[in-house]
Amino acid sequence: MNQIPGRRRDWIQWGFVGPALLLLIAMNVFPLIYSIVLSFTNADLVGGEWKFVGGLNYKFIFKFAKYGQALRTTALFVLLAVSAELVLGFGLALALLERFRGKTLVLTALMVPMMLPQAVIALFWKLVLNGNYGIFNQLLAGLGFRQPQWITDPDLKLLSVLLVDVWMWTPFMMLISLAALNAIPGYIYEAAAIDRASRWRIFRRITLPMCTPLLGLAVLLRATDALKQFDLVMAITGPNDPATQTLSALLYQAVFRDGKVGLGTAYSYVILVLVIALASIFLRYMDSLQAQQEEVAR
Amino acid sequence: MKILRLLFVGCYLSVAMLPLIWLLLTSFKLREESITVHAKYLPSLAAEVGPDDPYFRANLDGYRQLAAVYQGSNHSFFHYLGNSLLIGGFSTFCSVLIGTCAAYGFSRFRVPGSKDWLFFILSTRFLPPLAVVVPVLMMYREFDLQNSYLGLILLYTAFNLSLAVWLMKGFIDEIPTAYEEAALVDGYTRLQAFVQIILPRAASGMAVTAVFCLISAWNEYGFAMTLNNQQAVTVPVYFAGLQGNVQGLPWPQISAGVLLFVAPIIVFTILVRKHLLRGVTFGTIKH
Repeated sequence: MNQIPGRRRDWIQWGFVGPALLLLIAMNVFPLIYSIVLSFTNADLVGGEWKFVGGLNYKFIFKFAKYGQALRTTALFVLLAVSAELVLGFGLALALLERFRGKTLVLTALMVPMMLPQAVIALFWKLVLNGNYGIFNQLLAGLGFRQPQWITDPDLKLLSVLLVDVWMWTPFMMLISLAALNAIPGYIYEAAAIDRASRWRIFRRITLPMCTPLLGLAVLLRATDALKQFDLVMAITGPNDPATQTLSALLYQAVFRDGKVGLGTAYSYVILVLVIALASIFLRYMDSLQAQQEEVAR
Repeated sequence: MKILRLLFVGCYLSVAMLPLIWLLLTSFKLREESITVHAKYLPSLAAEVGPDDPYFRANLDGYRQLAAVYQGSNHSFFHYLGNSLLIGGFSTFCSVLIGTCAAYGFSRFRVPGSKDWLFFILSTRFLPPLAVVVPVLMMYREFDLQNSYLGLILLYTAFNLSLAVWLMKGFIDEIPTAYEEAALVDGYTRLQAFVQIILPRAASGMAVTAVFCLISAWNEYGFAMTLNNQQAVTVPVYFAGLQGNVQGLPWPQISAGVLLFVAPIIVFTILVRKHLLRGVTFGTIKH
């Protein structure tokens, strides 16, 4: 235990932790409570009088097809983005177990995309993906492939957003995969080598199961993030494109373009429930992970 | 086997670096050479180049024109860069300061319900920004904060606080309590012990935390766009605002601006690469 008991000075701990808690309550808890109230009203962005309308906003959300569509788009996006990032990131991490010169440099270069501002970089990606003069299509042409209109073809828009997301977040999966792979103790592999286990068997029976806890954590962190995807959609197609309208984009459209604050806040609650569901899985998972590790340590 | 692995890494790396290299090249181009059907990928100092050549006339026009006011905005790029610096810098300072204090409190004292409070702090990070942006906007209207620097600084400070507390708690937990105990016996007050004993030992951790906070404030777009449309406009909002321009986008200028804007992030990424894992997982994983 690191703690120093301070009996007569019970107030001092609150002096240390108080400002952080107060700020978080003011900027997170209060707005959340405020928005519950707003979600039952017909409040407007331009201001003016508003009155309670009961559950009308929630009823509207579940009746209107656009909202279901946005939910499906987001689910598809999360599923495809996270699985592509997982496969690529884990593959890269496996390949990077090899020792070679300049490895640190390669690793650092690989990590750069995930630190960049999504909204700004996505704007530049529009030049890269441009159907007529984009470098991506010119490379495809050089390799003898077709040159699709990535940004303007309704069937490909979501794929373009996905492509940029995968480019940005594969490094994240790679980073956590590397940590997981490096945490496997060498003697387990030595024992497997003595037993003359095949490479595939070692991978299936040792590498993969021992990485699963951390990979699960990475997937959940990425999934909660992808669920909130907004910046890329805004920059690449705008908030009101039916092909790429995610939950966040629709919320933005409802509140800031249509001015319907009551409806928007009701909608944000539906999103919030989804995120809380994912986050609670994540936290339960972290607890079981910790318990597991403590058992191993014993 | 080794060859195959290295080949895979090499392929991925070259594809992943392509947009960044293209960004660098575009920033040295002339406007008409930035959108050509035959890509120009080799810089040349020649005065004339053919339309189908792979050469472009390398120059610094893109960087020079950043100082000019582009149509559709009120100031030059550097004004918005200043805004980003001011807001990012202040909010980072506040997050690290408040976060370090809270982390010290949770690390060294028996705070009633500390597990629940820490869980609460972590959970704020999962909150979708758009779920709170509307009520925050309404709240800011009451206090007249909606177009101000202070409004964004407050918001980013709160936004980064969960990360700061969790990261700093990890760093402070590692500092042995023996130092403070000795100081307290020597007659230091608790606050003196914190400032003179703990802060110097936590300085490198605070620097790492500051880098992560700065990067996320620097990159933030959703709040910055929805809460501000006149005064405290940051660079991401400025760039996004150029999109609707009828004359087409001045790609060399944009590339030059983007490059200047992301350069510090790339430098910081290199500096904190050893701590990246801790930063992206909130310090819940320690090496």
